[in-house]
Amino acid sequence: MKRMRVSAIQRFLVLAACLLAACLVLPAGNGGAAEQPDELLLGIEPEHNIFDQMERYRILAAYLSDQLGVQVKLTIMSRYGEVIKRFKSLRLDGAFLTSYTAHLGIKELKLEPLVNPVNLNGESTSQGLIFVRQDSGIRDVADMRGKGIVFVDPATMEGYLYPLAYLHQHGVIDTNMFFSRFYFSGSHASTIFAVLDGRADIGAAKNTVFNKLVQSDPSISQELHVLARSPKVPEVTLCVRQEVDETIRERLTAVLLDMDATVEGRKVLARFEALRFIQSNKSDFDIIEQTAQEAWASIAEHGSD
Amino acid sequence: MKTLPPLAAHILLFLVVFFSAPGVSGAEKRIGVIMSGDIPYYGAMHEAFVAELSKQVPGFDEMEIILQRPFPDSISWSNAARKLIAVDVDLIVTYGLPATRAVINEKTRIPLVYTGVYDPETAAISGRNVTGCGYKVPLSSLLRYFKRLKELDTISIVYSGIEEDSLQQLGELQMLAAMQNIKTRRIDIRTRGDVDLLGGIAEDAVFVTGSSLAHLWIDEILTMARRKKNPVADIFPDQAEAGILMTLYQPPHEQGEMAAQIASRVLAGEDPQTIPFYVFRDTELVFNLVEARHIGLTFPIQLIIEATRVIQ
Repeated sequence: MKRMRVSAIQRFLVLAACLLAACLVLPAGNGGAAEQPDELLLGIEPEHNIFDQMERYRILAAYLSDQLGVQVKLTIMSRYGEVIKRFKSLRLDGAFLTSYTAHLGIKELKLEPLVNPVNLNGESTSQGLIFVRQDSGIRDVADMRGKGIVFVDPATMEGYLYPLAYLHQHGVIDTNMFFSRFYFSGSHASTIFAVLDGRADIGAAKNTVFNKLVQSDPSISQELHVLARSPKVPEVTLCVRQEVDETIRERLTAVLLDMDATVEGRKVLARFEALRFIQSNKSDFDIIEQTAQEAWASIAEHGSD
Repeated sequence: MKTLPPLAAHILLFLVVFFSAPGVSGAEKRIGVIMSGDIPYYGAMHEAFVAELSKQVPGFDEMEIILQRPFPDSISWSNAARKLIAVDVDLIVTYGLPATRAVINEKTRIPLVYTGVYDPETAAISGRNVTGCGYKVPLSSLLRYFKRLKELDTISIVYSGIEEDSLQQLGELQMLAAMQNIKTRRIDIRTRGDVDLLGGIAEDAVFVTGSSLAHLWIDEILTMARRKKNPVADIFPDQAEAGILMTLYQPPHEQGEMAAQIASRVLAGEDPQTIPFYVFRDTELVFNLVEARHIGLTFPIQLIIEATRVIQ
């Protein structure tokens, strides 16, 4: 791709992920019963604030270890796009995956989607947003010609595939030619800040991160103008390998689905920043396949990315 | 050997000269340039302007550029404009809004190309022979980054009451701060002595507007802020790395280059009114971690990764 750069955040995430992967593959709970399978190793995709994220998941893993009697360990994957590779190299049993990587895992590794967390706003889904600064004068795709665009990561539905498909639907065949520059920021939040600052004219990121930033700083919603929204997709899905013992898979699902029914479970959910877990479905990912097909068709038309 | 009749020879000579001449030639052209202040931001813009113009205009070496760097005050800006009008330059180029206004006020017929003007849309620059480019920086981002760095109750805004663009930034920042319940203190810089006003104010951060006067004494402003361990933000780049904690600025070379491209079109005979003005909105964000250490602040990693460049 033209003028693509590896941002500081991507370098940071890779480094942080390596460190965390090295030091956080630790027992998350107080150990399980001797007759149970040894352990469950679950992967996590890195978010903007990787340390807060790890803490949230560590609390959940501790709870699961207690409830299942199986040691649940966590490992953070270095970046969005390496899920498939990491599943094999780290010998993961499962992972909490964002929409596109979950879709890839289901398609290529035959992973089974179990549950989705429901966030504190009552949503288990997210949408891709395409946005600009209010004062940019950009109001449609035609106005975007010759401007700079920032994406999140090539392996994100909301932060890359959706905007690519949207642009393709609106007649942009070759993004290399259409935009003066484009790059990947490495995180949804960084993409939003880049547009706010004027470091990019157009951005694409997911609405849940957008809404969270707006909650902490309402002026953001006044400064940014959302031009388009993608269909809703599951934001995070716990997917596991089919080789994981069926009983464990069923118990894992049951424990997560029942969390909001107990006081202890609700406490953990609060610290995990979720209201509850809900059952996931393979059909939830159909829309991602369609979007990905359109996006990849677009890339195929203008050359390799 | 037959010779052409005199009239035909003259017509032929005219046609040869006419069609072989480039669209614009620098020969014997004179460009007058006025900076609103002799500050590095406009200096960098001017360097880019000259470099680009040398590519755009054939015979550039024969072109004369008369550079005026008046002290930032109304009389000096007017005098600089009048001097260039008196020597009848072919084109005037201005850096910054005050110098631009000074030339427009003289109501000259000499074409004017401005650059380095903050928010030309709001400034509503108009004139028969006027066009150019400017920039806009989202001041809200600087407030946002300050807030992620430390508790912000009060911010001092350094501006100059005689510079229209600086006043506009003051107004914008006051409005943004009010929306976030941040108190503001105004430091109007007219003389060197006004910098000392900073010493008597208790604030959590200092914002320096794009004022030429303020930037004449930026070292003194930084010394004063550092004494109180307060971070400083600016919309002009800290080219000397003198100690501004965060800068969010529009790269000056882009404006200088565009001004040169517009200037070459005007010199070639295009009517400035037919050339629309342009507003640059792209920015660079620089954090100075050395300065952060001096004043005892720690940048969180989530903030550092947003920077285009980090000084460390």
